[in-house]
Amino acid sequence: MKKLLAALVVTTLMLGMSTGCAQKQAATETKETAAAETKEAAAETPKADEQKTILFGFQDLETEFWVAGHNAIMETLESKGIKVIEKNANEDANKQLEQVKDGIAQGVDGIIIIPQDGESAVTIAGEANKAGIPIGVFNRPLSNKDNKAIVAVADNEVIAEQAVEYMAQEAKKLGKKVTPLIMVGDLGDPNAIARKQGFYNVIEKYPDLFNKVVEVPTKWDAATGLANLQSAMQANPDVDFLFTSSDFLFPQIKAVLEPLGKWKKIGEPGHVIMGGLDGDSTAGKLIDEGYIDATGVQDVYFEAQAILDEMLKAIEAGEKTPDVWVQDPGFALTQGNVEERRMDMWGNKLREDLK
Amino acid sequence: MIGGISLKLEEKQITNKNTSSFAEKSKYTLKKIFVSEYFILYLSLAYFFILVPFVPGLASASNIMNLFSNMWPMLTIAIGQTIVLIVAGIDLSQTATLGITSIIGAMVMSTGIDPALLETSPLWGWFITEQGGVLAGTSMAIPIGIVIMLTVGTLIGWFNGIAIAKFKITAFMVTLVSQMFFGALAIYLSTSQNIMNLPKAFSAIGTEGIGIIPFSLVIAVVLGIVAHIILSSTVLGRWLYSTGTNIKSSIVSGVPTDKVVIFAYMFSGFCTSVGAILYSARLGMGRPTLGDNMLMDIIGATVIGGTSMFGGKGKVLWTVFGVFFFVLLSNTLNLLNLSYFTINIVKGAIIVVAAFIDVTRTRIIAKGL
Repeated sequence: MKKLLAALVVTTLMLGMSTGCAQKQAATETKETAAAETKEAAAETPKADEQKTILFGFQDLETEFWVAGHNAIMETLESKGIKVIEKNANEDANKQLEQVKDGIAQGVDGIIIIPQDGESAVTIAGEANKAGIPIGVFNRPLSNKDNKAIVAVADNEVIAEQAVEYMAQEAKKLGKKVTPLIMVGDLGDPNAIARKQGFYNVIEKYPDLFNKVVEVPTKWDAATGLANLQSAMQANPDVDFLFTSSDFLFPQIKAVLEPLGKWKKIGEPGHVIMGGLDGDSTAGKLIDEGYIDATGVQDVYFEAQAILDEMLKAIEAGEKTPDVWVQDPGFALTQGNVEERRMDMWGNKLREDLK
Repeated sequence: MIGGISLKLEEKQITNKNTSSFAEKSKYTLKKIFVSEYFILYLSLAYFFILVPFVPGLASASNIMNLFSNMWPMLTIAIGQTIVLIVAGIDLSQTATLGITSIIGAMVMSTGIDPALLETSPLWGWFITEQGGVLAGTSMAIPIGIVIMLTVGTLIGWFNGIAIAKFKITAFMVTLVSQMFFGALAIYLSTSQNIMNLPKAFSAIGTEGIGIIPFSLVIAVVLGIVAHIILSSTVLGRWLYSTGTNIKSSIVSGVPTDKVVIFAYMFSGFCTSVGAILYSARLGMGRPTLGDNMLMDIIGATVIGGTSMFGGKGKVLWTVFGVFFFVLLSNTLNLLNLSYFTINIVKGAIIVVAAFIDVTRTRIIAKGL
């Protein structure tokens, strides 16, 4: 009985506290409550002249692209004097949702996320929409239009198509049919789907040039990509045309091709025509060294700047659920245009900075 | 003069006696609080009130709502883990059970599936199609979907229980293998894709409620009450504690230990699938990787509550307090804007401290206050 009473007292205390907090928002009778209300209101809707606070939640920093994206966003936010609350969800969509909800409770002015996938982006954007806080989604678009967000994303299909088109032109010079292989990303990610589509657009354009496509799932995971590529190369040793949906997998590709005697420079016998997408420093180096033929390039700095510009515009205008799509046109850096466009690729800029 | 000295000595002795009596009383009170079954709750409340002035928004209505909405799904899973720990076992397969029940339930209920994502699934064409799951759009989709989720979770628990009780394989090994097997099966069946387009009425389970009371609270509380009654008021409950305390003497005493162990794992699987229902509804999708990062949180919260990893000791109420403390901890660390790595370091340290406190409390209780 005594224990039950104690539990009841504690529960009542907790409920009382919760109810009290809820009531604070409406009550204006006493000075004390009014002060509390002001404090709470300040936390939930900061004044226009106050420093803006933006929650920046990212799924992880596994690849160079996400690290560059993270740094670009952080630098852009800090250069504008914005207070940033950073949250790493460690590839857990539920954790990211909880982090965003915590941020909403803290009364942030805006939210920028790099979501785990397009589906979780929809759910998280829904929470932000409900709370009336503008949300920006970086480089990984929502998988449907149920909720509103500022989305900055590269035209992955077109960029992939440009890179693979160059590779196809190189393949034509061989005068024989080639066996293509694509390392497919996480198909829950619209970017992976668009890149795969860009690849197939070219494959279908030249039916006489290509044998049956070998698909290697990677789930955007280096270990999965390595294991699956090893199996695929065992089963299909004649692969001589390889496109990876992300440049971060090139070290794994090298690890598989080198022991098979297929890691050769352009012009050397046994060279596998290779391309990727992202534009990271590894791809930049491999293009310079002559191992890969082309890579699609996303402009990470443009996307970071665009998302922040739109976010600030929405905050200033008091727009709570902005629905904006910013397209990063991107381009393909190839052995054909590397001289002119080398420094347009963010990965090469990073390499220069490191020097 | 001598009398004066004697008087002074007497006063000093009385003061010393009072001081020592006060110190003893304080020590006794502290020990009493320390060994109290409400210790974690007291600690949580103290932690909360100490942090309120330093963490803006901590006591705001919206944050408290967040806190509790994060608590209920985890509590359902932790209740299952509590029962398993009481029989001196451990259930590492809960994370995989979350994933597989989540996608199977979603596949039954979904109202539309993108063929580009799932046409390579072995279930494509007969269990799932472009129009959605096998019961898409029917009035029975949600109830049958939920029953299937609960059944699959319970069957995984049954498999674990049989392997542990009948084949005498260690719980750690069996549930680790289950985690790998069912985790991989979830990815195979879903081709690693999330299953979207769940019915709105299903999503409401995780996001809405009756007035201010969320459905997830009602479900977690009902499950907690059932588990509490089993543990505190039934013969089965006494068998669970007895099996966890000393399995050999329980066998000698006529306790059907095999059946008790199998029940514990089945109940854990059932509770985990309830958690999967709440998480899937909350996220609005079935996810094959739903519980991948949750194991430390679940076991941590259960152990922090006071349930012993050596078996024979644990209560549902303690788990409620443990989960509350763990969720409060995560919430405050988030609000303090600490990095992910710092948060994990703090959580890890707290689990170690909880284990240490558990050992110390057991020792103090054994010695008597």
